[in-house]
Amino acid sequence: MHASLQELAQLVLNGVITGTILALTGVGASLVFGIHRVANFAHGEYLTFGAYVGLVLNAGLAQSLAVSAAGAVVATALLALAVHLLVLKPLRGRGLVAMSLITVGIGLMLRNAVFMIAGPQIRQYAIDQSAVYDLGLVRISPGQAVAIAITLVVAPAMALFLGRTPLGKSMRAVADNADLAAVAGINVDRVGTYVWLLAGGLAGLGGTMFAAVQGAFDPNLGFEILFLIFTTVVLGGIGSAYGALVAGLVLGLVMEVSTWSGLAGGLEAKFKPILAFVALIGLLLYRPQGLFGRARIL
Amino acid sequence: MTAVLLEVQGLRKSFGGVAALDEASFVVEEGSITALIGPNGAGKTTAFNAISGFLKPDAGTIRFAGRRIEGLRNDLVARAGLVRAFQSPRVLTRMSVMDNMLLAGKDQPGERLSLTWLAPRRVASRELEVHRRALDLLELLRLLPLAEAYAGTLSGGQRKLLELGRALMVEPRMILLDEPMAGVAPVLAEQLLEHIRRLRAERGVTFCVIEHDMDVVMSVSDRVIVMDEGRVIAEGTPDAIQRSERVIEAYLGRFAPASATPGGAP
Amino acid sequence: MDVLNPAFWTFVAVIAGIYAILSLGLYVQFSLAGLPNFGHVAFMAVSSYTMAILVVRYAVPMPLAAGAGLVGAVLLALVLGIPTLRLRADYLAIATVAGGEIVRYLAMNLPDVTGGPVGSIGLLGPGQIALYNGDWLAFLDRFAASLSGIVGARVSRDAASAILVWCFVGVLVLALWRSERSPWGRVLKGIREDEAAVAAVGKNVFAFKLQALTLGAILAGIAGLLLAWQIGVFSPEDYQPTLTFYAYLIVILGGMNRLLAIPVGAVAFSLLYSGTRLLNFFPLSLIDSGSRAFLRLFLVGFLLVLLMAVRPEGMLGNRKELLLEK
Repeated sequence: MHASLQELAQLVLNGVITGTILALTGVGASLVFGIHRVANFAHGEYLTFGAYVGLVLNAGLAQSLAVSAAGAVVATALLALAVHLLVLKPLRGRGLVAMSLITVGIGLMLRNAVFMIAGPQIRQYAIDQSAVYDLGLVRISPGQAVAIAITLVVAPAMALFLGRTPLGKSMRAVADNADLAAVAGINVDRVGTYVWLLAGGLAGLGGTMFAAVQGAFDPNLGFEILFLIFTTVVLGGIGSAYGALVAGLVLGLVMEVSTWSGLAGGLEAKFKPILAFVALIGLLLYRPQGLFGRARIL
Repeated sequence: MTAVLLEVQGLRKSFGGVAALDEASFVVEEGSITALIGPNGAGKTTAFNAISGFLKPDAGTIRFAGRRIEGLRNDLVARAGLVRAFQSPRVLTRMSVMDNMLLAGKDQPGERLSLTWLAPRRVASRELEVHRRALDLLELLRLLPLAEAYAGTLSGGQRKLLELGRALMVEPRMILLDEPMAGVAPVLAEQLLEHIRRLRAERGVTFCVIEHDMDVVMSVSDRVIVMDEGRVIAEGTPDAIQRSERVIEAYLGRFAPASATPGGAP
Repeated sequence: MDVLNPAFWTFVAVIAGIYAILSLGLYVQFSLAGLPNFGHVAFMAVSSYTMAILVVRYAVPMPLAAGAGLVGAVLLALVLGIPTLRLRADYLAIATVAGGEIVRYLAMNLPDVTGGPVGSIGLLGPGQIALYNGDWLAFLDRFAASLSGIVGARVSRDAASAILVWCFVGVLVLALWRSERSPWGRVLKGIREDEAAVAAVGKNVFAFKLQALTLGAILAGIAGLLLAWQIGVFSPEDYQPTLTFYAYLIVILGGMNRLLAIPVGAVAFSLLYSGTRLLNFFPLSLIDSGSRAFLRLFLVGFLLVLLMAVRPEGMLGNRKELLLEK
C-alpha cells in the first residue's frame, strides 16, 4: 500500500497548509466576531487585498516573497484599522443586522476596487509555478514551501502572543466576556482597535499564502473562501482564538484527507467545499458553540 | 383550595462552575399569592427562568398542574397557563398599547397566514373577541386612555401594568412577577398591588412574586419562600418568616427588613 | 440597444418586475421578520435549475416542473433555516452566505447535472442545445394574441410578459399588505423587536421565523422562474451573489418597512442600472465597459454603506417610531 500511504502523506501536508491559512485567518475573524460582535463579511476581501499587495511587491517590485508577505501584512492591517476607525466604529450600535450589511457593502467596494485597479485577469506570483521539490514521501511546490516556512514562524508566534503577552491575553478576555474584562481593568476600546490590526495583518498574510499556494488567483480569491473562514470560526467557537487555530487545521485536514482513496475510494476533489458546507450545517444544528465556545443563551 | 399548582423539586443549574440553583425545591398553592424572597444572587430569577422555560435546568423536576414542564420550550410553558413577566418590563415599544395586548391574545387563527386567506371570517370574529378582552383588561388596569399610544411612551410603572395586562391576555392560571414594585412610583405601585389582589380574588389567578420590599411582602402574600445560595432555606407565613432566626441570619448585614434596600450580597 | 427603441424598455420593464418580486421576497424575510438573508439569489438559482433540468432531461410538463422548482427553493430554506433560526441572527447570515456560495459552486462544477459554466444550454450534454421555455413562449404568444384582440393593436411577446409580471406584482403587493396587517404580521413585528417578550406570551417564535424565510424563498423562486423563462437560457453568471444585494438596495431605498415603495424602487433601480449602460459620455466613457460593471458594483457597495449609515438608529421603524428611540 505504499502508493496509498504516499498519497495520504501528501494529502495531510496539503491539509495542514490549507488548514494553517484557515486557522490564522480564522483567529483574526473569530476575535473580531467575539469582541465587536460583527460577522465581518468583508473579511475575505482583506485576504484578496493582501494577496494583491503581495503581488505588487513581488511581481511588480521584484521583492522576495518574504518581503512581499510582510508588506501585505502591514498594508492589510492598516486597511482594517482604517475601515474600523472610519466606518465601523462611528456606526457602532446600529444593531447586528445593520452592521452585517455594512460589512457586506465594504466587501463589495473592496473587491470591485481591486477589480477596477488590478483587472480581472488571473495573476501569479513570481515563483516558478512548474517547479516541484521532491522530498521522497511528498512533493511540494515553491509556493507551498513558502507557506510552510511562514507557518513554522507565525503559528508558534501567534500562540505565544495570545497566551503570554498582556495584549494577547486581553484580546482573548474581551472576546470571551467584554463586561468582565472591563471590570478587570482592561481598556476594551483600545483592545478592540488592536484586534483589527491583528485580524487585518493575519488576513493579509493568509491572502499571500493562499495566492502562493494556489499559484493562480484573481480578485475573487477572498470571497470564495469566505464561507470556509466562517465555518472555521463557528467550528472553533465564536470568540475563541485557540478554537479557531484548532478548527482551521481540523477543517483543512478533513477536507483534504476526505479525498484519500484509502477511504473507500475517497471523496472526489470537487466535493470538498460541499463537505465543509455540510459540516457547517451539522455544527449549527447540533453544536453551534463549536468546539471551544460557550453555549450562550439568546 | 390548597391544591398545589406549581411544584419544583431538586432544581439545579450551574453557570461555568458557579451553582446558581442548588437543589431548590418549593411549592406554590393554587389561588395563593406567594412571595419568593432572598438576598441578591440567591437564585430567584434563575428559578423563574428555569420554570418558565427560558433556561434549561441541569437537573430537577418542575410540575405545573400535575404536568412535568422542566425543559419545556418557553412559549409552550406560557400556553400551558404559566406566564412570566420580566424584571425590566419587555413591552414592544414600537407598537401601540392595544397592539401589545392584541398580540398576546390566545388561540388566534389569524396567526396562521393560510387562515387569513382561507377563513377570513373566523379570523375577523376571533380578532373582535380578542379586541374586546383587551379593552376589558385595559379598563381594569386603568390603561384604557393610553390604548393608542406607543408603548415606548409609557412610564416604567405603566409598562409593568401593560406587561401584567399582556400576561392576562393569555388567560393564565399562574403569573410569575419579577420585582414588580422596583422602580415604580408609589401611586402606581399601590395600584399594582390592588390589581394583584383583585385578580386573585375575582379570577382565581395564582401569583408567585419575587420581591425585595418587605412591606409589600408582608401585606400581600399568603406564603413566603426564602432562598439563599441556590436553595430554599425557609417557607411559611409572612409572620413566621419574619421571626425566623435562620432567615434573619441569611440577611444579616445584607439588608434590614423594614427599609427594603437590597444589599450587595456576594 | 438604442435608447429610443421601445422593445428595450419593455424588456427593462419585465426585468424590473422580476426584481420587484425578488425584493418582495426579501422584504418578507428582512423587513417583516428581521432575518438577514445574504444568499437570496440562491433560491432563484435552485428553482430555475430544478425546473430546467426536469423539463429538458425528463420531459416533465412545465407547470409541474415549475412547482418542483419552488419546492426546491423551500427545501433550501429549510436546510438553512432550521439549524440557524433558534440562534443569533448572524448565524443565518453566515449560513445563507455559505448556501449561496455552495449553490453557485454546484452549478459551476457539476456539468453533468447543471451544465456547468455553460449553463442551461448544456443540460443535454455537449453538442446539443437544451431549451426549456418552449411551453412558456407558446403560452405568452397566446396571451399576447388575446390581448392584441382586446386592445386593438399588436402586443409583443415581451409586452405580454411585462403585463403578466406586473399583474403578479400587483397581486403580491396587495396580498403582502393584507398579511402585514394580520395577526400573523403582528407577531412578526413583535419578534423583530423582542423575541423573548413574544415567546413569553406563548408564540412559537421559531415557527414564525421559518415561515417568513420560506415564504421569501418561494417568492425568490418565482422570480427565478420568471427570469429563466424571460431570457431563455441561463448560466451561473445570471445568479451572481450581487443580485441579493441589488434586492437589499431596492428594499432599503424604499425605506425598509414600506411595502409599497418596493415596486417603485425596483423600477428606479432598473432604470438606473440599464441607464448606466447607455452613458457613453465623458468622463464615464473613460472607463471601458468591462470596468464599468465593476464600478457599478462598487457603487452598490458604497450605497449600502451610505444608506445604512445615514439611516438613524431604529432602522426598522418608521418616522413616528423613530421618535421613540432614546
